[in-house]
Amino acid sequence: MSGVKCTPLKGALLPQVLDSVDCLLFDCDGVIWRGDEAIPGAPQVINLLKERGKRVFFVTNNSSKTRKMYADKLQALGFNAKEDEVFGTAYCSAMYLKTVCGLQGGKVYLVGSNAMSQELEAVGIQQTGVGPDHIHGKQGDWAAVELDPDVKAVLVGFDDHFSYMKLNRAFQYLTQRDCLFVGTNRDTRLPLEAGKAVPGTGCLLQAVETAAQRQAQTVGKPNHFMFDCVASQFGVDPSRCLMVGDRLDTDIMLGSNCGLKTLLTLTGVNTVADAEVHQKSGSAERQGMVPDYYVESIADLLPALQG
Amino acid sequence: MAGAFGFKGCQKIHGPQIRNLLQAKDFFLFDCDGVIWHGEKAITGATTVVNSLIRRGKNVVFVTNNSTRPRENYMHKFYRLGFTDVMLEQIFSSSYCSALYLRDVVKVCGQVFVIGCDGLRTELQEAGIPCVEEEEDQPDATIFTCPLAADVKAVLVGHDDKLTFLKLAKASCYLKDPECLFLATDNDPWHPLSSGRILPGSGSLIAALEVASGRKATVIGKPSRFMFECISSQFRGVDPAQCLMVGDRLETDMLFGSNCGLDTMLTLTGVSQMEEAQEYRNSDVSTNHSLVPDYVVDTIADFIPAFEELEEQSN
Repeated sequence: MSGVKCTPLKGALLPQVLDSVDCLLFDCDGVIWRGDEAIPGAPQVINLLKERGKRVFFVTNNSSKTRKMYADKLQALGFNAKEDEVFGTAYCSAMYLKTVCGLQGGKVYLVGSNAMSQELEAVGIQQTGVGPDHIHGKQGDWAAVELDPDVKAVLVGFDDHFSYMKLNRAFQYLTQRDCLFVGTNRDTRLPLEAGKAVPGTGCLLQAVETAAQRQAQTVGKPNHFMFDCVASQFGVDPSRCLMVGDRLDTDIMLGSNCGLKTLLTLTGVNTVADAEVHQKSGSAERQGMVPDYYVESIADLLPALQG
Repeated sequence: MAGAFGFKGCQKIHGPQIRNLLQAKDFFLFDCDGVIWHGEKAITGATTVVNSLIRRGKNVVFVTNNSTRPRENYMHKFYRLGFTDVMLEQIFSSSYCSALYLRDVVKVCGQVFVIGCDGLRTELQEAGIPCVEEEEDQPDATIFTCPLAADVKAVLVGHDDKLTFLKLAKASCYLKDPECLFLATDNDPWHPLSSGRILPGSGSLIAALEVASGRKATVIGKPSRFMFECISSQFRGVDPAQCLMVGDRLETDMLFGSNCGLDTMLTLTGVSQMEEAQEYRNSDVSTNHSLVPDYVVDTIADFIPAFEELEEQSN
């Protein structure tokens, strides 16, 4: 089952691998862009892949944008991308609540962004809770906070309005045993910018899980649901897919979980050394975090596409 | 004695057994919430028990993870609820002990970034610990625009009902420096109110920061030993064999007692139930046995008949 792993993707191997796949899934942060700047060469790579007849999808754990917002950003940076090619966790969480949890026509308590609220609305799920929520009153009031009887689930995503009051509300809903608990993803930190460390959704989710002494079901990578979304809408063959990412514990792990080929790019979080540590660990589970191939940057794919 | 052999009795005890315990022990440590009071109401008989112990010359201290009030405030509460013989020196809260830790153990030289209530800040200020000023952040301030204080040598996290995302982000930035300490007043994931309802506790905030920073907090409160060390140094040495820890929460009070080598008593007027204690006792995981109490009572008011017997005996 396992061939040689963690091979540099270059020379003759490069066109071989590209020919062996019909569909490429790209993570965004650290792979095709950093912040608001495209990684040099990335737009040409994506556009040429499409010209060559490959299917291209964007799969990101970031929950702060709708598919439309992502499509706008992609196009502004020079990528030929369409809304239905984007799979962010705002969209996928809404889909999860609709298709797996059967919540269409229902309501959730949302700790998350306006984007998440919009994606929920688009699939017919109402939300309560988005936006600032400051503390007022006394302890007794908070514990006795009024719960909306229509709320059937708590959904936690990235929320820079996170506060004790929101934590408390989510917690109170979750003390009801039949209330579902879903999280967008467990990323611990947002991509580093200006040297500042920004807590990620994983932190907010852990706060709620610790208080409620319950585990959330997470939708984002490495959980297979996001690939299931792509596959169910576009009929792709996992063995002819390549997952391209910069994080071993989310992108590469997703690829391994779903039987895809995996490519690590070094323009983001992880290094080849990180992958080798997993490889040498002797743990079967950690082998899932070792990519099949790696490149310095996805721009390294250009030679095989331009010829 | 059950504790001495490492086998925890976990048995309910009554009159004569309690009487023996009262005679054998001279240092009583009580948790507060769920043990001597529920919110603003003393548990029936608790004032009699506490005042009787003190009048009989026993050492009595109160050990609470609640970091929201300064000790002065606790004094007023004790008095208000009828525990009239309690003095400031008998009160050990996690906020007071956090201040002692920073002042005497760490000997902190620099500022402390505090995520916590005013009560916690008051204790730090009284101990002379400089805290980063709590500014009212501008509504549109983000971690990229707001200034960070220089010379932050510790991040201290307690219960904070004014928690915001920005505070979490600032703390994460300070914790990037491995020389900056990461301290927690306590790790309780939730705590109960007198109404029977519950609220998220410090433990949930600490979990968020542990994930953000990839670091583990040093916990000052129960079940960590530090609060016992504070008590011991204040009383110039306390013999664990002379102590009885009375609490309502297995994961904090009983484990604390166990960690410090004290005999432990679970009272059933608070968080933990008998069934939970029995589950820990029957557990295959040997570390769970430390959460099992030596003794159990329905309420500390069960001490009262034992006092009466002792009175009769001495008459």
